[in-house]
Amino acid sequence: MADNQFEEEDFQSKFNGNVIKRIFEFVIPHKRWFFLFLFCTLITSVMDSLQVYLNKLLLDNAIVPGLKSQVLPYLKYYGLTVIVQAIGVFTFVYLAGMLSERIWYDLRQKMFEHLQKLSLSYFSVTPVGWIMSRVNSDSFKIADLVTWGMVDSSFAIVNILISGGFMLAINWRMALIVFAVFPIMLYVSWQFRKRILREFRLVRKLNSKVTGAFNENIMGVRVVKAFQREDQNLKEFNDLTYPMFQSAYKAARMNALFLPCIQLISSIALGLIIWSADWQIRSGLMTIGGIQAFVNYVTSMMWPVQDLARVYGEMQQSIASGERIFSLLDTRPAIIDKPDAFEPQTLCGEIEFDNVSFWYDDGDGKPVLEDFSLKVNQGETIALVGSTGGGKTTIVNLLARFYEPQKGVIRICGRDYRDFKMESIQSRIGMVLQTPHLFSGTIRENIRYGKLDATDEEIEAAAQKAGADTFIRSFPHQYEEQVGEGGNLLSFGQKQLISLARAILADPEIFIMDEATSSVDTLTENLIQQGMDHMMKGRTSFIIAHRLSTIKRADRILVIEDGKIIEEGTHFQLLAKKGKYYHLYTQQYREEKERDLKLNPLSA
Amino acid sequence: MITPIIDFDLTKIKTKNRMAGIWQMMSGYRLKYFLAIFSQLFSTIFKSSVYILLSWFIDTWLISNERSIPAYGIGLGFVLLALCEGLFTFYSNSTANYIAEKMALRIRNNLYDQIQRLSFTYHSTVDTGDLIQRATSDVDAVRRFFSEQAIGIGRICFLYGVNFIAIYRMDSSLALSTLMIVPLVFLMALFFFRKIGKRYEAYQNQDALLSTMLQENLTGVRVVKAFARQDYEIEKYRKENWKKFLLGKKLVFTEALFWPSTDLLCGFQMVISYMLGAYATISGRISVGDFVAFQALIVWIIWPIRNMGRLIVQMSRAFISFQRIMEIFANEQEPLDEGTVMPRKTPEGEIIFDQVSFAYQPENETLHDLSFHVFPGQSVAIIGPTGSGKTSLINLLPRFYEYTSGSITLDGLELNQIPRAYLRKHIGIVEQEPFLFSRSIAENITYGAGREVSPDEIIRVAKAAAIHESILTFEKGYDTLVGERGVTLSGGQKQRIAIARTLLKNPKILLLDDATSSVDMDTEVEIRAALNELMKDRTTFIIAHRIQSIIQADLILVMDQGKIVQLGTHEELIQQEGFYQQIFNLQSQIEEALEKELSHGG
Repeated sequence: MADNQFEEEDFQSKFNGNVIKRIFEFVIPHKRWFFLFLFCTLITSVMDSLQVYLNKLLLDNAIVPGLKSQVLPYLKYYGLTVIVQAIGVFTFVYLAGMLSERIWYDLRQKMFEHLQKLSLSYFSVTPVGWIMSRVNSDSFKIADLVTWGMVDSSFAIVNILISGGFMLAINWRMALIVFAVFPIMLYVSWQFRKRILREFRLVRKLNSKVTGAFNENIMGVRVVKAFQREDQNLKEFNDLTYPMFQSAYKAARMNALFLPCIQLISSIALGLIIWSADWQIRSGLMTIGGIQAFVNYVTSMMWPVQDLARVYGEMQQSIASGERIFSLLDTRPAIIDKPDAFEPQTLCGEIEFDNVSFWYDDGDGKPVLEDFSLKVNQGETIALVGSTGGGKTTIVNLLARFYEPQKGVIRICGRDYRDFKMESIQSRIGMVLQTPHLFSGTIRENIRYGKLDATDEEIEAAAQKAGADTFIRSFPHQYEEQVGEGGNLLSFGQKQLISLARAILADPEIFIMDEATSSVDTLTENLIQQGMDHMMKGRTSFIIAHRLSTIKRADRILVIEDGKIIEEGTHFQLLAKKGKYYHLYTQQYREEKERDLKLNPLSA
Repeated sequence: MITPIIDFDLTKIKTKNRMAGIWQMMSGYRLKYFLAIFSQLFSTIFKSSVYILLSWFIDTWLISNERSIPAYGIGLGFVLLALCEGLFTFYSNSTANYIAEKMALRIRNNLYDQIQRLSFTYHSTVDTGDLIQRATSDVDAVRRFFSEQAIGIGRICFLYGVNFIAIYRMDSSLALSTLMIVPLVFLMALFFFRKIGKRYEAYQNQDALLSTMLQENLTGVRVVKAFARQDYEIEKYRKENWKKFLLGKKLVFTEALFWPSTDLLCGFQMVISYMLGAYATISGRISVGDFVAFQALIVWIIWPIRNMGRLIVQMSRAFISFQRIMEIFANEQEPLDEGTVMPRKTPEGEIIFDQVSFAYQPENETLHDLSFHVFPGQSVAIIGPTGSGKTSLINLLPRFYEYTSGSITLDGLELNQIPRAYLRKHIGIVEQEPFLFSRSIAENITYGAGREVSPDEIIRVAKAAAIHESILTFEKGYDTLVGERGVTLSGGQKQRIAIARTLLKNPKILLLDDATSSVDMDTEVEIRAALNELMKDRTTFIIAHRIQSIIQADLILVMDQGKIVQLGTHEELIQQEGFYQQIFNLQSQIEEALEKELSHGG
């Protein structure tokens, strides 16, 4: 795996037109909302500038000449703009907010659905955290950009344009002074933004390290205490928090300087206006109301300028987010069905590995299996034994078509299994994994995962066959008991029994079980054994076996070493050989018995 | 200038009052923060002065045509006022943020240290996720109290006060007319932000649920695929995702309602004020310039009030966060240097237990009445079923927990009088499930050494722990990162690294808590050889379950239900009737049975 592939780095993205285009494609289905909120933003912004202009008219036409009767008409108009503005604000806040939520929904849904299509090889090289950030936060940044980003920038642009128009209408010479200052303001804003962003990025990075440090310190507190690392740890921690303080403060100070600077620039424009107002008014080109309007336009101009600089900065980040999201969405599944793949009537349980070679793409390129051949008859139980890394899991991964062989053919029922639809193979294979995984929810929901339309009776029957019924009924809520996140409210053995019940309910044509290496108590072990017996009866079964009882029960035992079958036969045949199996068996025998000694209470 | 890492000890804050607690925590920065808030006053005064100057300019220059100073002077006046305002604003905000970040730093460092110095009793009851939340988002909430809320509320108050006075000086009734709407807007904001807060919480919870769902889907990807449940998963996710969308819509609606409704209130206040101001100007009570200034000043009274509601709601959350943080400091630290005796440089390693009892909870005793004598350099093996108290017993030695009655002596000194720091320096532990840190393997091995360690030395201990060869198979060797971002090590590999780590510490007393439980037999033989080397000249306690690792022990303790039921050497114990003999016999029976099984097969 490339080292920095999954580093959380905000790469300074150049404006990538293609990415922007793809981002905005997510808006197209909702373009009515989009244009409506843009329109409302526009109206609101126009009202903003109009109010300043109405004030000017009030001053010039009513107050300075002292016409009391003229006051109310202008204020009526003013009141009208307030109402229109309120309606506009309501509409654009609601629409933009809703659209942002909707696009976030769409993006998440799209990514989630795409993830379901990707092959296991993708998940074995991509950290869960990386995917989570794409789905949860990058999508948010995009949704934010195309809604609030658009609101802010269009508001700002319209505001600047309309204000500029009014200024030109009032007095074009003075307007030019303002226009001269305007680009300076924009430039300074952007320079500030850029630097603030850079520091913030640093702060964010350090912050996640600080969180990590907290986590380790809590999880590893025994080691910390046993090795008396407290002082050293605190020093190292301060080496994280102190730079974080420095960067955060630097960013905040720059932020604090930002506003006054912009204000100063606009006050220079203001000063120039006042200075020039002198001869403008004398020559009759300017009114008092005009001066007031200019003062207001100039002082309020710094807000849209700030907004623009901010949105521009956010846009850069959003483009980086977009690139990462699209990199996920553009990943093609490693395994896809052939166009003419079909759904077989039955898998019939006859399996053949014919000269199969396989290597993991992310590995060192050494084949895990090389010219591996195996023929399994209908209803046979195969036990795979051998040391870790020998290729046992790879064999069942290939069989379940989580991966496909690079060379050779795997046949089910005499046909290349690539001719079948993937879904049709996987839905007819029942698997129990070494580390049982449950989903949060009730026990019943978890068992039902094996067959979605199962009745409650079927579920309970499956649990009984798996030997899980008794302990389930001992819970206060029985089948409605919550299992917790990942099933962590249950013990390991209980999780295994439930995942066995799940597989039994699915009633698969081929059964695969990766036995757990962790020890469970004898009672549970017996229950698991019974459940397995039930499954293996008359069904083609592959067991990656660790327990002697399972191994002995198999019709055929394969000893796998370095991707090859080095010994093959029944238990007694293999023992007689006194080879690798003999060694494994005697070792396992001692370990199991000794484990019993340790686990059984003295009184037993 | 060197400031200590912990520049203020938060455990000293004993008050339950949150305001008082924050005040105490600000030690060293109180005056500075006061100045920061106070400069907002000047900043607002200069801001208002701009409009007063404008008013004066209009009245004297434009209307009365009295030009006592040149026009550019007035223009310069505007720039100068902006500069003064800017300086004060800058000083205020930058100081407030400086203090906010300092406080965050102070809390973070304090928390980190507090957490690592709390007792095991505390750690066994605490939830990691909750603790981390307090250390991160709660700290951030308190930080924002300093950087945004306190200073923001101060600024709004000053804005209100200064501008009110400025208007009052023009015309008192005009000033009073601006008061009408203020309480209304304020109350409305408070109401809305409370409501928004609640909806936001529901929305956040749904978001967390969605995130959990994704995580489960990703970690359970093999199950999803094994049952071909992709469509089902998509439907399930869609349902919750849609629910979140609807909650989001509701939240947005509340917000969309808030802004325009306060906009309307504020807008009409403006219209009324303008009207009154206009009439007052036309009737000559105030000048045209005053009217212009009045129009501008009133904006700075009305609109900031909207934010007051938000700040107050946020502040109440910051207080809750502060309280949650302080709860951690309310727990007593484990004093490392406490003790009345200071033993000599390195202990001999003679340990005597005399009628020792121990209870995690007072009503439920875990260890009863343990007595035995270990001479320097001896090895003690402890066996017994799970839950019999083996680990609890060895936890007493480094004083991870305190025995409740009886006496334990080390070299004749009462253990609970010896400083913990001394004990932990000379006692090494290898745990059953050792914890490694997400650093390189080399850094993990040197973790507890507390000194510079040469690469040769690291290799030496790694070889002794039978892990050197495995490390070399990694692409980056000793620089390989451990954990999430690096390689996943097997249980046996972790254990051997932990053994190497302890070897390097070179302790006089060694505690091995089932240190070979997750390795296969071949590896165990290697490790045992390494351990035998390690155990030379050290007092050693081994929890083990294989007879082979027990036979050589100088003393064997057989434990059951917190009691020592048998003790002696292997030779003594096999003579006695009892558990040990049973095990030993069983062990031989296993071998016999195996023989039988094998011959039967053959």
